[in-house]
Amino acid sequence: MTAPAVQGARTTPAAAQPSRRGGGRDRRRGHRVADLAGVGPPMLLFCLFIIVPMIVAMVLSFVRWNGLGTPHWAGGSNWAQFFRDPVARTSLVVTLKVVGLSYVVQTPISIALGLFIAGRQRYRAVYASLFVLPLLMSTAGISLMWESLLDPNFGALTSLAKSWHVAFLQQNWLGDPGLALYVLVAIIAWQFIPFHTLLYQVGRRQIPQVLYEAATLDGAGPAATFWRVTLPQLRYTMVTSGILMVVGSLTYFDIIYIMTDGGPGFTTRVLSLDMYDAAFLQDQYGYASVLAVLLGVLGIAVAVSLVRFTGFATMASQQEGAA
Amino acid sequence: MGDTSAARRRWMTVGVAVAAALTLAACGSSAGSGRNGSSSGTATMWIVTTGPSPANTAIQNLVSSFEKSHAGEKITLDFVENQSFKQKIQLAMGAGNAPTIFFTWGGGVLQQYIKAGDVQSLGSSPSWASSFLPSSLGAVTYNGQIYGIPVSGTQPVYFFYNKAIFSQYHLTFPTTWDGLLSTIATLKSHGIAPISLANGDQWPGLMYLEYLTDRIGGPTVAQDLQANKANAWSNPAVTQALTDIQDLVKAGAFETGYDSVHFSGSGSDALVYSGKAAMQLMGDWDIGSILGSDQSFVTGGNLGMAPFPTISGGAGNPSDLAGNTASYVAISSKATATQKKIAEDFFADALSSTNYAKAEVAAGEVPVSTGAASLFRGQSLASYDTTIYSSVQSAPSFQYSWDQAMTPQVANVMLTNLAQIFELSETPARFVSTLNSQAASGS
Repeated sequence: MTAPAVQGARTTPAAAQPSRRGGGRDRRRGHRVADLAGVGPPMLLFCLFIIVPMIVAMVLSFVRWNGLGTPHWAGGSNWAQFFRDPVARTSLVVTLKVVGLSYVVQTPISIALGLFIAGRQRYRAVYASLFVLPLLMSTAGISLMWESLLDPNFGALTSLAKSWHVAFLQQNWLGDPGLALYVLVAIIAWQFIPFHTLLYQVGRRQIPQVLYEAATLDGAGPAATFWRVTLPQLRYTMVTSGILMVVGSLTYFDIIYIMTDGGPGFTTRVLSLDMYDAAFLQDQYGYASVLAVLLGVLGIAVAVSLVRFTGFATMASQQEGAA
Repeated sequence: MGDTSAARRRWMTVGVAVAAALTLAACGSSAGSGRNGSSSGTATMWIVTTGPSPANTAIQNLVSSFEKSHAGEKITLDFVENQSFKQKIQLAMGAGNAPTIFFTWGGGVLQQYIKAGDVQSLGSSPSWASSFLPSSLGAVTYNGQIYGIPVSGTQPVYFFYNKAIFSQYHLTFPTTWDGLLSTIATLKSHGIAPISLANGDQWPGLMYLEYLTDRIGGPTVAQDLQANKANAWSNPAVTQALTDIQDLVKAGAFETGYDSVHFSGSGSDALVYSGKAAMQLMGDWDIGSILGSDQSFVTGGNLGMAPFPTISGGAGNPSDLAGNTASYVAISSKATATQKKIAEDFFADALSSTNYAKAEVAAGEVPVSTGAASLFRGQSLASYDTTIYSSVQSAPSFQYSWDQAMTPQVANVMLTNLAQIFELSETPARFVSTLNSQAASGS
């Protein structure tokens, strides 16, 4: 009896509407008021704290203002400044590097760890809680901890390198222009892999066991099962995790700000740091807004295109014929 | 009916209370200041702090004794954390909601507020001006008018060095640039990092540029830069100073990883007192900072202090100083007449009093009051304090830290580009042209 009821609920639009249309007018208006009352407050907050600031940032990007006195209309000069500013160009490149590297480093490790802790081996729970540990630490704590570990004079890594005579461990980790960015990407990965691991763990757990049984019957080995069953079934998890990774690292700020503040030189100066400096250290709110708008547009564009090209929006079932 | 109106009144009271609470929350500690407290006899004051300190207590005591001797005049004192202060005061100023008395480092930031009409002028020579060393008021003087009064001690920059290392290798602290270079070579040959530099923070590197331009070109170079004169950065003294800095770097004068070492934590200080590095160019707060982490190093007489070396043929006087002449408080022009009166009384009767100078000395600071020389006797760090005070007193020029003196637009770009000079990833010529154009667009 339950099955048809569910079926009916799913097909509500086509099947149920004609019968309601007759006497449902007032009721529907009543619904609309109730809907508005329900949606109104969050919509209002959304407008007040998301939409309005976005519009303000757009407007600010066309004025010259140091935070004091009256803003002056600057036309497109802030935007022109962006295209002339070599530091902004460098920052854009560094940001894209952080995004790309973060994705490439974090995704495979997260999938591997996620599949591992979704399994049923012994001590799985112990490993799982160890892996998730960085997720519990505050970003400032992580930054300061790594900073002191990597200190070129007093750091633990330097001491290790000296006592074990391992020369390559003795590096100027955060001060070497060729190294600092990769060190930061690694630390960011260390911080965020646990989160994505959890996503993949959940994703793996939701794959029906019958698919694996069928694959085994068809004679698929572990590798084939992974490529033909697990990975395709994790597609939406990959999209979700990918969007979070890409958009998150696009606007990433804290660890970089605390650990290198963009240095050495401009080698780790991401766009969000450039924006922070422009607004709060140089009091150029107009120019900072240009960078903010740019980051916003970039983030939305990436998220939308990821959703589009992966067919995420349609949410079509991946398990046709499985159930 | 009586019931309902009483109920309504009660609800209104609640409403007003909620509104008041929200307003208070929104204004934070600035509540009661500016236009909010128009009729009150209470002035508000923001002082910057890096944590609980004897200096904070000295100000608190000063306020309470001022309130006792001035009936009806009250000052609400708030300490604001150092890192967030610049942003907080900028927002309060922009919103016309600044406290009556606000903390400032003077220089370019204060000038921005003055130009925006946010700061009350104190006249060309307020009654208390003679209580302070003349060099100490330059940072708050604009167009001949004084806008602030010193609230804390002076912070000139010196070389601080590890005496044990110097005596071990039979060295005396060099008084000339060439002497410094040969000392560096000697120390390096013994496997000791000659100079500890916390350039992860960027501002410590600036001290070299400040002193070198002064020693090479005299005090007018920095004055032109701080006045934002066109192409002031093209002065040959700046280029020479930048070249000298890069020579130091090439000579291996700084410790490994100097561009990621910070001043706080186990940073540049630890290198000096642990004997890994021989010296550090730093503000006089370094004495207190090292005292905090390795007390016996200071009390045991191991911490040496020396002025920046001279450069042969240079135009600068060897007694010229660089650093923070003092920090100040100023009055918001948006304050009410009553509040301004309280603030001016507080400046004339409390901040410029000998009692406050004494309290500052007791708190370990070196005040810029004219008669402070005799106050250091018996203090634990008297030898340092006396030297600092007399060097400030006799300095022909005391140039104010550039990152404070210049506008934020220029200062920030200067610091990031100077860090690149230290990393040898930028040439002096490019630094000069970048700064010239930044100064032109920022003015």
